[in-house]
Amino acid sequence: MESILVIIDAEEDKPLSGQALETLGAAAALSAIVKKEISVGLVGSGDLSKVATALAGAAAKAFTFSDAALKDPGYARDAFAAAKLVKASGAAWVLAPASSRWSRALPGAAERCGGKVDTHITSFEEKGGKAAAGRWYYRQRIFGKILREQGPWFMTIETGSFPKAAVGVGAAPAVTPVAEALPASRSKVLGLRSLSGGKQTIKPDAELLLVAGAGWTKTQKDGVKHAKEAEGLILAFLEKYGASLGSSKAATDLAAEGGEALTFMTQLHQVGQTGASPRHAKGLATCCFGEEPHVVGWRFINERRAIDLNANCGWAQGKADVLYVADVFEVFKELAK
Amino acid sequence: MSIDHTYHLVICGSVVPDPLQSLEPVVTQGKPGLKNELMLPMVLDPFVNHSLNEAAKLREATKDTQVHLVAVGPKAKLQQLMMVLAQKTAFNLVAVDAPAGGFIDSHTVAAALAEAIKAIPGLDLQKTLVFGGWSSASRASGTTLQLVGEKLGITEQFFGVDRLTPAADGGFTVLERVEAGQHLETQVAGAPAVIGWATGELPELPNNPKIGMMNMAKIMPAIGKAKAVDLASAGFSVVDTALPAEKRQTRVVKDMPAAAVAAEIKEWIASGKAG
Amino acid sequence: MSDTSVERQSMEVDIACVGFGPAMGGFLTHLSRGLKAAEASGPIQSPTMPGAPPTVICYEKAEDLALGVSGVETEAKAIKSSFPDFDPASVPMTTWIKKEKTVYLMDPWGASRRPLLVRLADPILRLLGKKHSFTLPVNPPFLHKKGGIITALGQFNQWVAGQLMAEGAVQIWPSMAVEDLLLEKDAVTGVRLADQGVDKEGKPAEGFMPGMDIKAKLTVVGDGPIGSIGRKLNEKLGMPEGRHLWEWAVGMKFVVSLPDDCPLEEGTVIHTIGFPEPEIFGFFYVMPNKMASMGIFVPSWMQTPVRTSYRYLQYWMQHPYLWQYVKGGKVSSFGAKSLLESGIEGEPHLVGDGFARIGEGSGTTNILTNSGVDEAWASGRLLADAVLELLKSGQPFTRENLDKTYVASRRRSAIEKGTRKARHSRDGFRRGFLPGMVGMALAGFTGGLLYVPSREKAPHDMLIDLERYYRDRIPAAELRAMEAECLQKGGTLWEKILPRLGWPEVVFDGALLISHQDALLLGGKVQAVHGYRDHVLFDDPAACEACRTKSCVEICSGQAIARVEGRPVPAFDREKCVHCGACIWGCARGGRGDLAIDSNIAFLGVPGGLHSAEN
Ligand SMILES: Cc1cc2nc3c(=O)[nH]c(=O)nc-3n(C[C@H](O)[C@H](O)[C@H](O)COP(=O)(O)OP(=O)(O)OC[C@H]3O[C@@H](n4cnc5c(N)ncnc54)[C@H](O)[C@@H]3O)c2cc1C
Ligand SMILES: Cc1cc2nc3c(=O)[nH]c(=O)nc-3n(C[C@H](O)[C@H](O)[C@H](O)COP(=O)(O)OP(=O)(O)OC[C@H]3O[C@@H](n4cnc5c(N)ncnc54)[C@H](O)[C@@H]3O)c2cc1C
Ligand code: SF4
Ligand code: SF4
Repeated sequence: MESILVIIDAEEDKPLSGQALETLGAAAALSAIVKKEISVGLVGSGDLSKVATALAGAAAKAFTFSDAALKDPGYARDAFAAAKLVKASGAAWVLAPASSRWSRALPGAAERCGGKVDTHITSFEEKGGKAAAGRWYYRQRIFGKILREQGPWFMTIETGSFPKAAVGVGAAPAVTPVAEALPASRSKVLGLRSLSGGKQTIKPDAELLLVAGAGWTKTQKDGVKHAKEAEGLILAFLEKYGASLGSSKAATDLAAEGGEALTFMTQLHQVGQTGASPRHAKGLATCCFGEEPHVVGWRFINERRAIDLNANCGWAQGKADVLYVADVFEVFKELAK
Repeated sequence: MSIDHTYHLVICGSVVPDPLQSLEPVVTQGKPGLKNELMLPMVLDPFVNHSLNEAAKLREATKDTQVHLVAVGPKAKLQQLMMVLAQKTAFNLVAVDAPAGGFIDSHTVAAALAEAIKAIPGLDLQKTLVFGGWSSASRASGTTLQLVGEKLGITEQFFGVDRLTPAADGGFTVLERVEAGQHLETQVAGAPAVIGWATGELPELPNNPKIGMMNMAKIMPAIGKAKAVDLASAGFSVVDTALPAEKRQTRVVKDMPAAAVAAEIKEWIASGKAG
Repeated sequence: MSDTSVERQSMEVDIACVGFGPAMGGFLTHLSRGLKAAEASGPIQSPTMPGAPPTVICYEKAEDLALGVSGVETEAKAIKSSFPDFDPASVPMTTWIKKEKTVYLMDPWGASRRPLLVRLADPILRLLGKKHSFTLPVNPPFLHKKGGIITALGQFNQWVAGQLMAEGAVQIWPSMAVEDLLLEKDAVTGVRLADQGVDKEGKPAEGFMPGMDIKAKLTVVGDGPIGSIGRKLNEKLGMPEGRHLWEWAVGMKFVVSLPDDCPLEEGTVIHTIGFPEPEIFGFFYVMPNKMASMGIFVPSWMQTPVRTSYRYLQYWMQHPYLWQYVKGGKVSSFGAKSLLESGIEGEPHLVGDGFARIGEGSGTTNILTNSGVDEAWASGRLLADAVLELLKSGQPFTRENLDKTYVASRRRSAIEKGTRKARHSRDGFRRGFLPGMVGMALAGFTGGLLYVPSREKAPHDMLIDLERYYRDRIPAAELRAMEAECLQKGGTLWEKILPRLGWPEVVFDGALLISHQDALLLGGKVQAVHGYRDHVLFDDPAACEACRTKSCVEICSGQAIARVEGRPVPAFDREKCVHCGACIWGCARGGRGDLAIDSNIAFLGVPGGLHSAEN
């Protein structure tokens, strides 16, 4: 039977991630258009039926694929498991969170099921009786809607795009375990590593994003640079306000070039056209110039403010709610108090 | 350090509009595209560019490793691109003449790439590492390489890779970007594998006129021979392409003492915190 | 400038070419055709590697060959003779010229600094019922480009390069700058490419790769008006007797998407005079698809040290006559570049042992007809013919051989006839706007026989003190206070002076009126490739220290040169430099002795420039 299958990675005793619940929310939105039932496909380790039970109300059926080797992400294993779940469920639409794990493996599963795949979906709407999936092109610069006639149609759902589904109300889904052996693997997960010298400055769950531009390391009023002081002020701010750190390309490039720079900046911090487009409720840009297209890194920040000496700062005019024309060093010293 | 092992490196990559150009969607003859698409300066897709740097390094570190660049794109634009790229590192170009743009289905692109790869003379798939960017600056879907790999029967695939460390036995470890600015380290027994690169860790390759001259002698004929391929995808369309209309009314605060600015910001940060 | 002690790779070629502008386009097109044509009859052999065809390599410092920033209107006589079936539709932004007119713009704000007679003209015109402008009843014949084309130079260059690459007889390498010449006594033996992997001062850093030496039998220098290699030759050889490079202008333009209801027809050419300052001429070319290239020229004979082309461009665009056409449109790209307006007065030594010069840097530009592209192309073609002749007959590229072939054909050419006529046509401007206009008309109508003579002056000698220039408008004490404030706090003088003269504030609308920095990013980017040294240097810091007006800051087309709070020497930021070269001749002080262009600014060959789809 044609249904909507939501693929989620799960572990026996762990609550589902917010992203997983949002994907279930996306399934509800899709279901409202195509009028089909929602199932979940759980991939992970341990007894997944418990997790399935907790999804009462959000899905009618659950398919599980459990194996100790699925505790860690890995393309070959994840794509295999997901494809098996899709085949078992007979789904015509397959949704998964656009997490690093499913962004990698879902396309592989689609190919194995003879399906089609699209990623980073942010909306669904009805178009001519069909569901059209909205997403961004050209790195968040052009929005478009996809229509597909051939399925099964696999999609990853972008974070922050759909409301979380309510779970735990109503009947628990009927659970069907899929028991298959994973194929022999030629790879082994060794574990997580942190390249940014242990300082955890990227925090996707933070309420606030601080974008630090190259201005922090430029010559200041007194004719000298204050990179060390800037580092201290920024780190203190991140700590005090629980903010995540982003940077402009110029600031990361400076760090890569050595010299007077913010030493903790890595490529991963870069926000914008050739960097990330993080999603946070609030964003504070400091010392950033640059116009579109760099400012696209702002697009998914709801409330935006900026501090810059230059009133024509591109991150602010027409893009931020408030621009403070002020010296960021002075303001941050006050903020640290 | 040199490793006595040979890889066959195949880089998949094509042109994208220089990221700093202003882009505007248009629909011509029912198909979505960009305004002045063929006039826009094009560059090698940034993440692919990193993979090219990484391929050059891996070739240095290993023995007899060859590098092929498979590009599906408009001939004229590939030619322009090659004028810059050919100076970077020696590679063998396989060109396929077809449009390159964000609104094209990655499934047909992947099919064209897989066909072109299979046709590379002397390529041993068992030794092959398929390189590319983990997502393009145009479609930004991050699906093409998986599909290419699946079509070639390669199931070990890694994306958002920032580091690949080869071992003496032909195996290697990779660091893939995952959430929260962290990396997942995986040990792989060896080729075949697909590696979708993120930014990697290498600086841009310098322009080397000698390499350029050597490369060009093979590249221009390869472009001349490029087969035209139709990338139309049955039952697939992208509609209603539009620029975000958003423009905010920015309140500009000037001449406010730093302490007052800080106080306002503190209040704003604290406001509406749902927890 | 590169360190001579490091070990460099080297490579031998037959012909090394510097710069890919229209001059080099003409040279390579005809050379390539000649080499191809000879393949059938008995191929031309490489002098370095007999048996193989000659290796011809061209290095261009810009990325993508799109550095040509001029919106061009050209009669294209030479270009059309090279491409008899030329179809404008094959080159983006290109079309036939259909209409030409010259419009005098009155001053709507009363802010411009007009000489008395010009000031009187405005009320008279108003009495005659002209509100803002006056279209000359006839377009001066010497400005006519009948049968010519409007094009975008970057697009045209790319089109030419595309064809050349496909033919395969020559190679063009963008993003590769020539940093120096290889010399043996007075003979040029090739070029040295820019060092890579160096810091801003040029010192080896990560990934250091010394620039390669390219040894060549012939070095063709076509690096344009501000090319560092041409200027090196001038320094080395001096200018021929009585020649100098003293007439300059910076051309700055926007490409604009015109509003749908703009009535101007594709192929329309409008020249403007009179506004924003009488010295500043304007152009407006209507291209296909409702696009226009519009801009101004700020000349070296405009005597104020406060020559802000960007702000003047915005004022000019807002003139009611132009605004009526663009209102509702959007700026989609920006660019600026210097023009060498000395024409034949600035002709350097055209050839020497192992080198030949073509294009604007060789004095081809016709200042009377405002035409540079076609002349540059034609000079390249003449050199190609000469080179083919010498290659075929197995003669070396000596001064003597190049003299009797290339130079002789230049002397007989239409370029020379034109530039001779134009020779003194602008001299009058050194006396002021009105004598200049009279002189230009005289020369134009008499084929250069009559003109208004004036004493020749180096560009920095044209600049006069702020106090003198604004003597009847701003008290000297106030000007000095402005100067002092700039020195202390940074910023520019024009920001203070123009509003004081009654120029209105420019209110940004995000479409036609945008900040200077936004303009740099709009539709393009400044290429400042990492790993190269800074290319703008202040030769003698003491000269900058003593320099009051810092005219290099005022004129800078990218705000790349800026005053730094409390510091006497300006700072340079290459991320903003569009490689226009205006700072070179716009420098207020001659610092380097009696050279061809006397400037305190050194401008080196480093890859970069402004890169845009629509230039
Ligand atoms: C291919 C390519 C891709 C790119 N992609 C991206 C991208 O994805 N993301 C990105 O961000 N950029 C990108 N860029 C770079 C972009 O062009 C700009 O260079 C960059 O965004 C500017 O960074 P910035 O604002 O940090 O630095 P700057 O331009 O140097 O701006 C510094 C600002 O700091 C202010 N300032 C200095 N001191 C103080 C102070 N004490 N108090 C307050 N303000 C102060 C100044 O007024 C100025 O506005 C890209 C460039 C290229 C070539
Ligand atoms: C705004 C503007 C409008 C104009 N309008 C017109 C017009 O309407 N009609 C007309 O006929 N002419 C016009 N001109 C003039 C015309 O553009 C020039 O006369 C013409 O481009 C000269 O051609 P060229 O080949 O000699 O030099 P250029 O076009 O200047 O080419 C020289 C090339 O050499 C490269 N180069 C320089 N140094 C190096 C180095 N060290 N290494 C490698 N490469 C280097 C440069 O990047 C450049 O691409 C205009 C100019 C401007 C600025
Ligand atoms: S470069 Fe020339 S204009 Fe600029 S400050 Fe120095 S001397 Fe003055
Ligand atoms: S610094 Fe660059 S942009 Fe400024 S005037 Fe000089 S060449 Fe032009």
